[in-house]
Amino acid sequence: MSNLNPQLKKMGNYASIFLLIIGFCLIIAEFFVHRHGEIDLEDLFIFPVIYGFAASVFIVVVGIGLRHILMRKEDYYD
Amino acid sequence: MTDITPGILMIIAAGFVPYLPHHIRQIFMLLAISLSAFSLTAGAGVHWSVAVLGQELILHNADNLTLPFGIIFHIAAVLNVIYGWHERKAMEHTAGLAYAGAAIAAVHAGDLITLFIWWEATAVTSVFLILASANERANKAAMRYLLVQVASGVMLLAGASLYWREVGSLAFGSMELGSLATWLIFIAFGIKAAFPLLNGWLQDAYPEATILGTVMLSAFTTKLAIYAFARGFAGTEYLIWIGAAMTAFPVFFAVIENDLRRVLAYSLNNQLGFMIVAIGIGTELAINGAVAHAFAHIIYKALLFMSIGSVMYRVGTAKATELGGLYKSMPLTMIFCIIGALSISAFPLFSGFTAKAVIMKAVGYEGLVFVYLILLAASAGVLHHSGIKIPYFTFFAHDSGLRPKEAPINMLIAMGIAAAFCIGIGVMPTQFYQILPYSLDYQPYDASHIVGQFQLVIFAMLAFTFLMRFGFYPPEIKSTVLNSDWLYRRLIPQKCMPILNFAKRCSEFANMVVVTSGKKVILGTHYIYQHPITGPVAPGPAAIALLALLMSVLLLVNIFS
Repeated sequence: MSNLNPQLKKMGNYASIFLLIIGFCLIIAEFFVHRHGEIDLEDLFIFPVIYGFAASVFIVVVGIGLRHILMRKEDYYD
Repeated sequence: MTDITPGILMIIAAGFVPYLPHHIRQIFMLLAISLSAFSLTAGAGVHWSVAVLGQELILHNADNLTLPFGIIFHIAAVLNVIYGWHERKAMEHTAGLAYAGAAIAAVHAGDLITLFIWWEATAVTSVFLILASANERANKAAMRYLLVQVASGVMLLAGASLYWREVGSLAFGSMELGSLATWLIFIAFGIKAAFPLLNGWLQDAYPEATILGTVMLSAFTTKLAIYAFARGFAGTEYLIWIGAAMTAFPVFFAVIENDLRRVLAYSLNNQLGFMIVAIGIGTELAINGAVAHAFAHIIYKALLFMSIGSVMYRVGTAKATELGGLYKSMPLTMIFCIIGALSISAFPLFSGFTAKAVIMKAVGYEGLVFVYLILLAASAGVLHHSGIKIPYFTFFAHDSGLRPKEAPINMLIAMGIAAAFCIGIGVMPTQFYQILPYSLDYQPYDASHIVGQFQLVIFAMLAFTFLMRFGFYPPEIKSTVLNSDWLYRRLIPQKCMPILNFAKRCSEFANMVVVTSGKKVILGTHYIYQHPITGPVAPGPAAIALLALLMSVLLLVNIFS
């Protein structure tokens, strides 16, 4: 079990490559599937790709900012 | 038999639970839930009402809105019994069965007073699930939880009374905001639904409950509020914006929270937002979406709480900083957790996809572009904190050195059933949609929707990978993240301290004045008694009797004048 860390690293690498391949396929799929959303904006080329990525980065960036304001020691209320 | 309100049998059965031996108790509870569920077959209509003080209290009202909530609450109750089978102590089982029963009975309340009774019953029974943790932190959280819940109940009662004066009826049906009565009822529901700034109790109390308690709590209280909104305030526009805020804000908090059960509590709050938006829209499609989402959500949220609970059961903590690398030790729990994560993230073929799609369609149909974009971003956020963060920091991330056993068999069975529901709802949307309040002719599985949804979730996952790889993702830190409960746990006590001190001094002063005056009166009376001005000295008992007589006469004159 002592080699768990390298194993986890290797799994992480495989997962990243797998996700990249799937992501690439999904962008290619945009050329073959007539994708239409519930709102007009969603019909723009690879809109969910950009929006999903950008929203995630935005959430994390705001989260980091919030940490400076809202984070206290674990025993803050004790 | 079917006239008896569903849930009431469970509350009665809960009274016997502490006196039964372990395994028989669990079977008994399953039987009680099954018997209670039998009442769901009564069909639509009023099945039981009683006249009290000139008012008709409708104890059992059933229609197309109560049925899906009745079904899912019974399923959740069964899952709880199986998940907690290993637990020998009766306290959680007793409280849990009564709590589930109260929530089910509340759903079938046809008037506001009956609703209030069961509304408060859910609060009083569920608090024991937090108290059962038996530590000081949990005790304090339980008292705060109870205060907030009872406050919600009191507002509901006040609102109901005013509503009765205004309208002349206590029937629980569609209401319009505009009077104090309806606003009080609206806020009472809003507290239980964990509206923004009224949500502190949820993230404060749920993670302090026992392992089984948190799973139980996740199913009923907030979804009862969702039901109440769907019945009382469907189409209220405020709810669209409140719901949108609910989907967005908890996401940021969940990203930086270290306690994974608290992360799930934030995520629960975010999911409620989707339902509230749909109720705010109020069309048949939107209400179907809200109910579908509540149904699917109860199961996948329970599954996520169960999986983290199983880990906690084995290793004693749910803190991300202390977990990691458990995928080899608890592989089945990991698989179930990932199924829950895929469901809440709305991956195609999982329940969240088929449920959330209806809400998104309703929002898009109404042309609410801004709200739609918030919900879409919140969906990416859900994927981050519940879809990735929960399984990643528990089972992968780094080697925590922990090598626990797999979860107990009963926990695995409960998680397995919940996982099967998540997949079943995901792959059979047509059958799932049949239990919704209104007929729904919608097929979520078309190439366009599938590709679009996969693009959203896969690129949100890629963003997570990118942020982790380049060290931008905030590391897990042992900490407390301030939430709206800070208002009543810190701000108000601190800022109000001068006022409280002033009030205390006033009270002490008034006390002193009263005591000093009292002493002087007694001394004066004693002096006069010892030194009469004129006449003979009356014997002590005679003087007291005379005084008592005079006082009585004065009192009687006062009363009858």
